[in-house]
Amino acid sequence: MRPEQSDPALVDLEPSAGGVMRLSCNEAEALCHKAARGAGHSWGLAEEAGFAARWLYARGIDGLGALLAHLDQKALEAPNAALIDDVFRAKDGGHLCPIAVGAALSDYAALNRKTFRIEPLHEPILVLPFLHQIACVSDHPMALTWTGGHVVVSAAGRIAGDLSELADTGMAKICVAPAPKSALPLLAARDPATVEGETISRLEAYAMRTTVPASTTSRSDAGSESSDND
Amino acid sequence: MAAPTPKTADTASFRRSPAEIMRLARMGSAHPTRLSFLRVLLRRIKKENWRFGRPVWDVDANGVGSAVYRAKGPERAYSLVAFAHDLAPEMRTDRVIASVWDATFALFDGEPAVADLDRLKANVPLQEAGRISPGELSLSRANRSVRLFDHVVDSLAIGRQPDRAEVEAVGYLMRTTAVYGSGKFGAADRERIADRSELAAPFQAEMLLVWLIRQFTIDIVEHLAAAKGGRDAVKLDPAIKRELGVGNSTGLGMAPFLVRHPLLLHNWMKARDEALARVRAIPKATDETVQAFEDALAAARENARRWHSEHPIQTEKLADLRADLDRVAGRLETAPWAGPHPWDEFWRWGRRLTLEGQEALLSLLLEPHADLVDSLADCMSADETAVFRIDGAMTVGAMRDLLERHYDWALSIDFSEPSSIARFWYVSEEKLEPRLGNRIGELGAEREQPLGIARLACDFHEELGGSHEDASLAEFLLSHPEHRYMARRAQAAADHPFAEIRDNLIADDMLPIDLMRCKLAFFGASRFDPRSDKWVRISLFQDEPYPSDFYEPSQA
Repeated sequence: MRPEQSDPALVDLEPSAGGVMRLSCNEAEALCHKAARGAGHSWGLAEEAGFAARWLYARGIDGLGALLAHLDQKALEAPNAALIDDVFRAKDGGHLCPIAVGAALSDYAALNRKTFRIEPLHEPILVLPFLHQIACVSDHPMALTWTGGHVVVSAAGRIAGDLSELADTGMAKICVAPAPKSALPLLAARDPATVEGETISRLEAYAMRTTVPASTTSRSDAGSESSDND
Repeated sequence: MAAPTPKTADTASFRRSPAEIMRLARMGSAHPTRLSFLRVLLRRIKKENWRFGRPVWDVDANGVGSAVYRAKGPERAYSLVAFAHDLAPEMRTDRVIASVWDATFALFDGEPAVADLDRLKANVPLQEAGRISPGELSLSRANRSVRLFDHVVDSLAIGRQPDRAEVEAVGYLMRTTAVYGSGKFGAADRERIADRSELAAPFQAEMLLVWLIRQFTIDIVEHLAAAKGGRDAVKLDPAIKRELGVGNSTGLGMAPFLVRHPLLLHNWMKARDEALARVRAIPKATDETVQAFEDALAAARENARRWHSEHPIQTEKLADLRADLDRVAGRLETAPWAGPHPWDEFWRWGRRLTLEGQEALLSLLLEPHADLVDSLADCMSADETAVFRIDGAMTVGAMRDLLERHYDWALSIDFSEPSSIARFWYVSEEKLEPRLGNRIGELGAEREQPLGIARLACDFHEELGGSHEDASLAEFLLSHPEHRYMARRAQAAADHPFAEIRDNLIADDMLPIDLMRCKLAFFGASRFDPRSDKWVRISLFQDEPYPSDFYEPSQA
């Protein structure tokens, strides 16, 4: 008997250029970690990028696509965020990086500065995983608000609000603040998303920038000094 | 009846410091112990009365086909799905650059239906180039030891047993060249299975897979011998069979693991040291435990006798080990068993041995004390997400103090010396495998992987000096994201003192095989046999029972 096509474990295993692919969460995180590093993030922020993309992916949200869109902005080389009076601004007048801002929000979580305004940043959905971290520390749901709506993340990692609108928002000024408990109905939990083959191959292209082309030395040095055919 | 587990206070004075344990030279002398992951698996299988079988054996006279092995625990079943291939000798390489193997495997979660087998047949033989699903837990492949494999088939085919010296020299019929788990190539994520008691300890699915492969290696040589010799063919002598393990051949790919998983490393090293401390804290030795120690020593000496390596590093270590085990045997005659804390006395006497001998002694001391040691296996997993978030409220001054306390070993290294930064870890574009380059003379250092922790800690410490000590770490990291990686590690290391290897991993004299040996010993690997300073062969499950010893009556 052939498996049902709806079995998420058994469909879309073949990578194909135009199709979609199902990655394990571990693969999604590892790919995004490397891609973020390859695109210019420091190792620590690349870890945050992997964490954020995985968090979204595991909840059926296209975190890999969001991260790719962010990495394509190519504004990662120098830290450009400054925090003045609870407002994150870009020092150079450009747009903020959602990974750097998300990580900073999480860092500040224990300093009791729970309301922040953030000047325009790319792919604001990438900030949600960090709100979960803050919600865990404070044991209180956190809300992300922008002109198009708002989304709440609970300490249990559940999501409520205008999620699909946020996913469609490429850039926005946002506000991050504690949310009233149980104000919104939680969205139904979803299984891990599938990813466009194109998204994967473009993330892989960034990831390859962390690798070093082989030399004769490195190739010969990596194996056994004797034959394996014994 | 199990002895009561000692309270923390009883063992505290017998514990060793991270400065003693977390040195590469000592880690590179590690021996498998009762806490090694394959031992944990085998104990569970016996205790829970797991049952095994081989529901599918569809292999032709040339050794090509497929097989399924089933492992049934009290709650769930797992199956090894094996594909046997006909490989031209010139295609055989253990490197990750290989694209074909003598056999390929997946560990299936449950019992596979025909459709599953079709799907796996289309993917598992391709290994990295294929895709598996959350229905699989692990992916692996193996190559024959041509020398021993052919000799065993040829001997059995004409009704004779293989030459014992040949068996001893190699020790296995096939060696795995990679065992992938944890979501690799589409397999189940660790979170999906981590709450199952049988898979809670580290690498249990991978160990089960390798153990089932060991059965496959025996079945396929006996099958080929029967195909070749017909009625003349015989089965392998059970005593020879027991001596055979599964080989494993591994390169630098494994080396960074312990650096990338500091929390796991901490839990592994801490559990092992706590085990030793519990044994050292025993006030009096019983006759039974002394006898068990003697038996373990005899087995260790026999193992050392049969352990071969031609690599100069290992031949020297083997000579040390054999000499040290002789000294342990000598000490056994005169040890003051009647005195207080006799096992502690033995351990402290053993400090005169080489590192190789000391680590072997550690393993021997744990062996008679199942009741004190075995439960520590439950503490060897780690939830790494628990230490991911950085506490940005920590001040710059507190972080500097933390580094000075826990990374003193790193801060004392002079990184202006070229020998201190002689090497760099990188990932090769060609096969995405970790490699080690020379900073002078090789290109690519700008793409260095963050494994030189000592240097990162030094750089971080120095940069912190430029900020006000009352400033928050959150503020510091906002303008210094390049130190975020080290800040996270350092905060985790503060509560996990065994998380860091206290040596410079980019120094000119660093030996990558030391990292590999430590990890492999935790797996339960024996017969460590380096083929270079970056490449090693080992054996798993040697002298242990087989799945067929637990076959259901219908399969026996």
